[in-house]
Amino acid sequence: MKEVPMSTCEREFILSAIRDRKRIDGRQTYDYRRLKVAFGMERGCCIVELGDTKVLAQVSGKIEQPKKNRPTEGSIIINLELSPMASPAFEPGRPTESGIEMNRILERNIRDSRAVDTESLCIVAGEKVWCIRADIHVLNDEGNIMDAASIAAITALSHFRRPDVSVMGEEVTVHSPEDRDPVPLSVHHMPVCVTFAFFDQGEFLLVDPTRSEERVMNGRMVVGMNMHREICTLMMSGGMLLVKEQVLRCSQIATVKVAEIIELIQKALDKDAQARQAGEKCGFAESVPSNKITTNKKEPTSVDTTAAAQHASQVIQEAGPVDKPVSNMLVQAPGTVQIGEGLVNTWQVDDEDMESEEDSTKKTATNGREAVAVSKPTERKRPVKTVSHAEDSGSEEEEKVVLYQGDVEMKSTEEPDATTLKQPTSSNSDKPAKKKGKKKKAAQK
Amino acid sequence: MAGLEIISDQGYRIDGRRSSELRKVCARMGVFTQADGSAYIEQGNTKALATVYGPHEMRKGRGKIQHDRAVVNCQFSMATFSTGERKSRPKGDRRSQEMSMHLRQTFEAVIVTELFPRSQIDIYVQILQADGGNYCACVNAATLAVIDAGIPMKDYVCACTAGFIQDSPLLDISYVEESAGAPFLTVAMMPKSEQIVLLEMNSRLHADNMEKVLDLATQGCKDVFAVLDRHVRDHVSESHALMTAS
Amino acid sequence: MATEQTLRSFGCEQNLLSRPDGSANFTQGDTTVLAAVYGPGEVKMSEEIIDKATLRVIFKPKVGLPGCAEKFQERVLRNTCESVVLATLHPRSAINIILQIIQDSGSLLSCCVNAACVALMDAAVPMKCLVSAVTCALTEEGQIVLDPDSKQEKESSAVLTFAFDSRENNVITCSTKGCYTPEQYQESLSACREASKNISSFFRQAVEKRMSKELKVKT
Repeated sequence: MKEVPMSTCEREFILSAIRDRKRIDGRQTYDYRRLKVAFGMERGCCIVELGDTKVLAQVSGKIEQPKKNRPTEGSIIINLELSPMASPAFEPGRPTESGIEMNRILERNIRDSRAVDTESLCIVAGEKVWCIRADIHVLNDEGNIMDAASIAAITALSHFRRPDVSVMGEEVTVHSPEDRDPVPLSVHHMPVCVTFAFFDQGEFLLVDPTRSEERVMNGRMVVGMNMHREICTLMMSGGMLLVKEQVLRCSQIATVKVAEIIELIQKALDKDAQARQAGEKCGFAESVPSNKITTNKKEPTSVDTTAAAQHASQVIQEAGPVDKPVSNMLVQAPGTVQIGEGLVNTWQVDDEDMESEEDSTKKTATNGREAVAVSKPTERKRPVKTVSHAEDSGSEEEEKVVLYQGDVEMKSTEEPDATTLKQPTSSNSDKPAKKKGKKKKAAQK
Repeated sequence: MAGLEIISDQGYRIDGRRSSELRKVCARMGVFTQADGSAYIEQGNTKALATVYGPHEMRKGRGKIQHDRAVVNCQFSMATFSTGERKSRPKGDRRSQEMSMHLRQTFEAVIVTELFPRSQIDIYVQILQADGGNYCACVNAATLAVIDAGIPMKDYVCACTAGFIQDSPLLDISYVEESAGAPFLTVAMMPKSEQIVLLEMNSRLHADNMEKVLDLATQGCKDVFAVLDRHVRDHVSESHALMTAS
Repeated sequence: MATEQTLRSFGCEQNLLSRPDGSANFTQGDTTVLAAVYGPGEVKMSEEIIDKATLRVIFKPKVGLPGCAEKFQERVLRNTCESVVLATLHPRSAINIILQIIQDSGSLLSCCVNAACVALMDAAVPMKCLVSAVTCALTEEGQIVLDPDSKQEKESSAVLTFAFDSRENNVITCSTKGCYTPEQYQESLSACREASKNISSFFRQAVEKRMSKELKVKT
């Protein structure tokens, strides 16, 4: 779906407000919106809300082979997904340019600045290392996805616990969470991005732009910083022209903002750690507020299922006995078998014997459909096969189908037999589910 | 790489330069006759080739036509033989797409696009040999190519990298210094007005050192501008001499 | 066969996202699914249907890129929603339903269907009836466990999910994994049907609560 274009009135209004040093939502120029961090039940899962912008991050770990040129280091993959949920303009599938840019900034912020120690992710040098993957999904886009995503990424990485691994000589054992407590990742520092929006060719700047401010801005600058005042990443682009003094001023503002944000993240992490230690139930299900009008909660309820069992047996009785599959086969010649009546033999079979090695496979092909649906006939068929072709022991697995002229008609006349078998096996009305049911039966055979 | 000093005790770097010296820049304009503009630049061992086509009618993507200005389309690719190990994906991977986008944003800011409504300008840049400062070589080559094509720009765009290793800022980082993990800043700017068009930084750099590095990068861009400008003037006077002679 | 089965606690929150036309967060025990609906809106020319709205379901797993299993889930959900949404009221338009798994602790498919239904309600998309879905698992001994969590699902021999309509309690969708006898199937069906009435009444309560300030609800 296309994004609704912004009207000129709205654009002019926002710009004139900014020139007056006012913002549409009443904030000051360097104020952030309300920041909320919530953790999920799983380790490494968190939702960050920056105003109305919502971002979900999940960290997971897998053991893989390391890269050839870095045999003692694990790897960190950061994947930012602009979910179609966040905005009608985002399409699933290939990421857009802005998506790629944000992804690259996040990667540089966390990976290239060595926020997480990759050497500690090594299990067996050259063979097994941990590959940590952070998936960040944008749930709602109300401006400044970059900051929310970076906060979510680093918070989730700090929250994550990987399974403990012990190496004894050649053996590597991965302990489950019940055996040994999972181990946290070694996070050296927490880099957080701060986005600045520039207006009027760099004359006015705002921190944490909302969506409408983002649509009106000339260009943006992203500064990634950590608590120690180290700049981890800096990106200025968007076709705007800046002077050196503005860049330095931004980095100073960023210092202050980053300190506030990291303090908040630390508080949230500590609170969650305490709650987990106290044994309280954590997770998103718990954190749904119950006093809002838009939320509704219900305690575990019990369902009376006595009637269900009776009802079920009633239905089965009413359905009547299942038609036993027609299983008397008439062997006309080696390689052709007839089930049912009224078929015109189009296999051009004479009474004389046809000596061919593929005959047994033809049998499996023609009777394949029936065999798939119900398991009984195949068992009965086997003795028949062994009588005629004892040497073809491997023929059951072969999928060779030799088609003759009358083959198509032969297959179509088998349909009525197949449908009568279908009824008792499933009562779905859905076609895809029906086929799935049949395939499942075949798989279990 | 233990024991390999980026700066020796006498203050010389691995390739014998001092900390604020640029690598040797060689440039040639008008390399291809078919393209509207083309240029080839060598910065030390980094070699980049740029071609410009346009302004011409928008062929693909008629939906993107802008009624009041030209659309700039950039494509960045690295030749498979440009790096030490063969590069399996010359374009289409995230890094190349990001570079293409940055180039496009850089040139959209600098080219006077209002003069060519409803048309398209294509800039194709190819790295033939990568030895650090890939983006800078691309931008410099593309600037020359755009000048060669005769497309009006607000000013030259010159780009340069500056890094910070062992407490001293270094200018024009080569590949060896890049892979040592030191922070480096890439700056693309318009030299006369000292306006920064693009700023990109990798790895960790303390905020206090930021100003020094930025100043050094600015100086580097101005030096690059001096070289490019002289080259352009030489090229133009040569062509002028050829034309008036015949 | 146990006569008293317990459904885990469920909760739902509506209208929590500002961009989508309708959104809902549905939790069943610890399983949480966030659903968002955009529409009816603009449709791509290639997907346009001249007399109906085009329904599109996008199912996003939490980790990794979507693959075949996700496409299958999308298909099941799409068929379910197409049976209840009055698509003929909005020809040549698209209704997009996006589901994001926030936490998967068992009965994922039924949680998704329920979340999608609440989100469609929140977006005011016209529907014939509400859809309530329940999952049940069959243990090795043949016992039915309603609304299983992930541990129970792993140990079961079959997992069946049924979606019912709220007016006549007919089956809209049935999706099963594993093998079971016809008798077990019928039993699970009846058991889930009973349970779905709870979920339908829960939907009702949620909407009544939401509208309580605006309308006087007749008891």
